[in-house]
Amino acid sequence: MALLALPAAAQVKSGSEFLSPGMARQQADETRNPGFFWVEQGEGLFSARPPQGQACIVCHAEPRQSLRGAATRYPQVDAASGKLLNLEGRIEQCRVERQTQPAFGHESAELLAMTAYIASLSRGLPMDVATDGAAKPFYEAGKAFFERRQGQLNLSCQQCHDGLVGQKLRGDTISHGAGTGYPAYRLEWNSVGSLHRRLRACSLGVRATQFDFGSPEYLALELYLAGRAKDLPVETPAIRR
Amino acid sequence: MFNARITMPAEAKAGEIVEIRVLTRHPMDRGGQSDGKGGTVPRKILNRLTATYAGDQIFRFDMHTGVASNPFVSFTTRAVATGDIVFEWREDGGATYTRTSRLTVT
Ligand code: HEC
Ligand code: HEC
Repeated sequence: MALLALPAAAQVKSGSEFLSPGMARQQADETRNPGFFWVEQGEGLFSARPPQGQACIVCHAEPRQSLRGAATRYPQVDAASGKLLNLEGRIEQCRVERQTQPAFGHESAELLAMTAYIASLSRGLPMDVATDGAAKPFYEAGKAFFERRQGQLNLSCQQCHDGLVGQKLRGDTISHGAGTGYPAYRLEWNSVGSLHRRLRACSLGVRATQFDFGSPEYLALELYLAGRAKDLPVETPAIRR
Repeated sequence: MFNARITMPAEAKAGEIVEIRVLTRHPMDRGGQSDGKGGTVPRKILNRLTATYAGDQIFRFDMHTGVASNPFVSFTTRAVATGDIVFEWREDGGATYTRTSRLTVT
């Protein structure tokens, strides 16, 4: 198939390059990008003292320096458990184990806000996840998922996000699926949502199984996408249609 | 959840035209969906934004259900005297929210 023969990772571009000029301006303009409300909320939560336990900022002083670049290295394998964690997973781990508070929960306003805030501290820095060593099996699983045809439409992620890049689909322009702007503000959601929420939309689009937020399948996929996006800048909070 | 980002210069010369940008966080829920108990969710939107400066209303924006969530609006005014610009949003059900920004006129 001609579609599958196209070169991949070499020229992966950010989803922002496929935005209309008006939306690209809105994304870049902090006074008009609603995603910054979530960033601001996350910044507030980061300093807020929970009923018991310590505020995040007690252990992570000067987050603008100490957590700058953190988002570029996620997903990553957690050394202690051997599990693959994305940024949300790492935040929840700190929340539960170190802050001794109940987990925020997937797609909760708090987790989205905290993730958007911490990712925003890496804006402009190049993505740099490890795909070798302990990460390799996860990366390979993500790659296999990306290339596998699925759903009633029998399409792979790759057929759209490599083969049909630049083509229109229901008013969208298909990008490489880099995912470097998430959590992102999507007009269709009227809100900020996670990368996994976007992945669920793509799975539904081909009428395939929608995996859960934080599922091993989507985590592996997220690692593969992040590996493809190597050196692209973090753009959270991006704006998408 | 309400929040607002107001962007405008902190200072202006008398007579100068200043641009004011207001981005608001609000779901602008147009209502009508099922509430799961046989009824419908009532409409809950911000229905009006006003801005007052130096004793005068300088801006009014009536909003309807067609306005998307997290609305953005920008307008201009003429700097006349040092003072507060007071922004007030009115929500369905009667709640109001206010924010204040100081403009120093030189
Ligand atoms: C009691 C101290 C403590 C508290 C409270 C705490 N953390 Fe952490 N956090 C740590 C430590 C220690 C690490 C390093 C873990 C590691 O590298 O294995 C860490 C790691 C992280 C990382 C990963 C950084 C990186 O470079 O990979 C993030 C993100 C993070 N914490 C966010 C938070 C957030 C958000 C909160 C509040 C909800 C929080 N932490 C609360 C101690 C804490
Ligand atoms: C039928 C074509 C199609 C298939 C198959 C598909 N997607 Fe998408 N995907 C889209 C469209 C259209 C968009 C929205 C425009 C864009 O950003 O590419 C999108 C968006 C995305 C985005 C967000 C990119 C951004 O910057 O906002 C990611 C990530 C993504 N897809 C990953 C995947 C993955 C992983 C799969 C396989 C499970 C997949 N997609 C399958 C069409 C598809």
